Amino acid sequence: MQKNNGQELAEIKKTLKNLLIKDLSLEDITPDDIRDDDALFGEGLGLDSLDAVEIVVILQRNFGLEVKDLENRKDVFYSIDTLAKYVLENKKNGS
Amino acid sequence: MDVKKRGNRLGFWFFRTSLKLFGLSGAYGLLYPVCLYYLVFDRPAVSSCMAYIKMRFKTYNFFQRSFAVYKLLINQGKGLIDRYYSFYKPDQFDMELKGYGKVKNLLADSHKGMILLTAHVGNWQISMRGLEGLKKTVYLLMSPEENAAVKNTLNIDNEKGKVKIISPDMFLGGVIEIMKVINEGNIVSIMGDRSYGHNTVEVSFLGNNISLPNSAFIIAAAVKCPVVVLLSARVSRKKYIVDVTNIMEPRYTSRAKKQDEIKAYVQKFARILEDYADRYPFQWFVFRDLWESKVQ
Repeated sequence: MQKNNGQELAEIKKTLKNLLIKDLSLEDITPDDIRDDDALFGEGLGLDSLDAVEIVVILQRNFGLEVKDLENRKDVFYSIDTLAKYVLENKKNGS
Repeated sequence: MDVKKRGNRLGFWFFRTSLKLFGLSGAYGLLYPVCLYYLVFDRPAVSSCMAYIKMRFKTYNFFQRSFAVYKLLINQGKGLIDRYYSFYKPDQFDMELKGYGKVKNLLADSHKGMILLTAHVGNWQISMRGLEGLKKTVYLLMSPEENAAVKNTLNIDNEKGKVKIISPDMFLGGVIEIMKVINEGNIVSIMGDRSYGHNTVEVSFLGNNISLPNSAFIIAAAVKCPVVVLLSARVSRKKYIVDVTNIMEPRYTSRAKKQDEIKAYVQKFARILEDYADRYPFQWFVFRDLWESKVQ
C-alpha cells in the first residue's frame, strides 16, 4: 500500500532521530527525548558545527542528498522537523 | 603578536620606504632596534612568546630566553617584510617545494580536493604561492579580522586570484561550505596550531599537554579526502622551503573508536610540529601560551 506523505514524514523523523543518536554518539538520549521542533544546535539538543559534518554524512549516505544543495540552507538544519521535510522533498533513494 | 596593534602608519611607512630605498637589508636593519624596543618595553608581547620559548629551550636562563624571544620577534618581522616585498616583486624568493609531485598526483587521481593543514610557521602566505601550479582554488578558513593582514598579499577574493575566504563565523562554522568546496575538487587551508576553546583534543607537545583543534581531521574523514600538512621555513636570505610531504588519510573504523582514532591524527600532527620546532625553533610564531592550565 502506498504510504502518504504524513506517514513517510513520520518515518523519516524516526529514522533521523535514531541515526543522530547512533552516529553522534548521543549518550543517555532516546528518540523520544528529541522533540520534532527542538533546535538541533546551540540551545536545544546542543550540537556543534562538527556534528553538522556528521549530519551531512547521514543525509548523503542514507537519503542520497548532496552537500552542494545544503549550502546556505540554515533553515534545513534547525530541527528534526525541518530536516525531515527537506529529506522528504529531496531524497533520491529509499531510507 | 598582533601586528595591527603594534604597528602604526608611520611605522609601516618607515619600513616601506627603507625597503624601496635600501632593499631587504635596509628594511631588515630597522627591525633590530624596533624589536629591541618591544623586548624591553612590550611585556605582553614578550610574555606571549615566552611560554613557547620556555618549553622549547628548557635549560635556558633568563638572558638566553630573552635573546630567544628577540630572535623570534626579528624573524617574524623579516617574514612580514618578505611578504610585503614578494607582493610587489613576486619572483624575488626561491621556493623549494618538497612533496609537490605527490600532492599533484593526489589531486589528479581524485575528483575531490584536500585539506591543507598548516600552522603559524615560516611564511605560509608566501608558501601558498608555491601551490599556484596546482591550479586549484584555495579557500582559507579564517575570521574576518585576520583577513585584512593577508588580503593584499594573496589577492584574496580578487577576481584574478585563486584564494578565497571561508569565515568560521558563517553558519555552522562554515563546515557545509568546506565540505562542498572539497567535494568540488578545491583546497581548504586550516590553521592547525590554534584552538578557539572548542572542538579540540589534548595531545602531548614538547613534554606537556596542549589542546589542538581536531576539525580538519573530522571533516576529512567525513568527506574522505586527504589532509596535507603544509609547513614553510625561511632557509636563507631569499629562499623558502615549503614542505608538503606529510600526508594523512583520516578515517575511523567505527563510531566507538572515532574519538581515539581522530586524536591519533592530531597527535601525529603535533609530532610533525615538534619536529619543525626542533629544526626551525625561531620560525614558529606561537604568540600565546598553548600550555596554559595544562602543565601538571
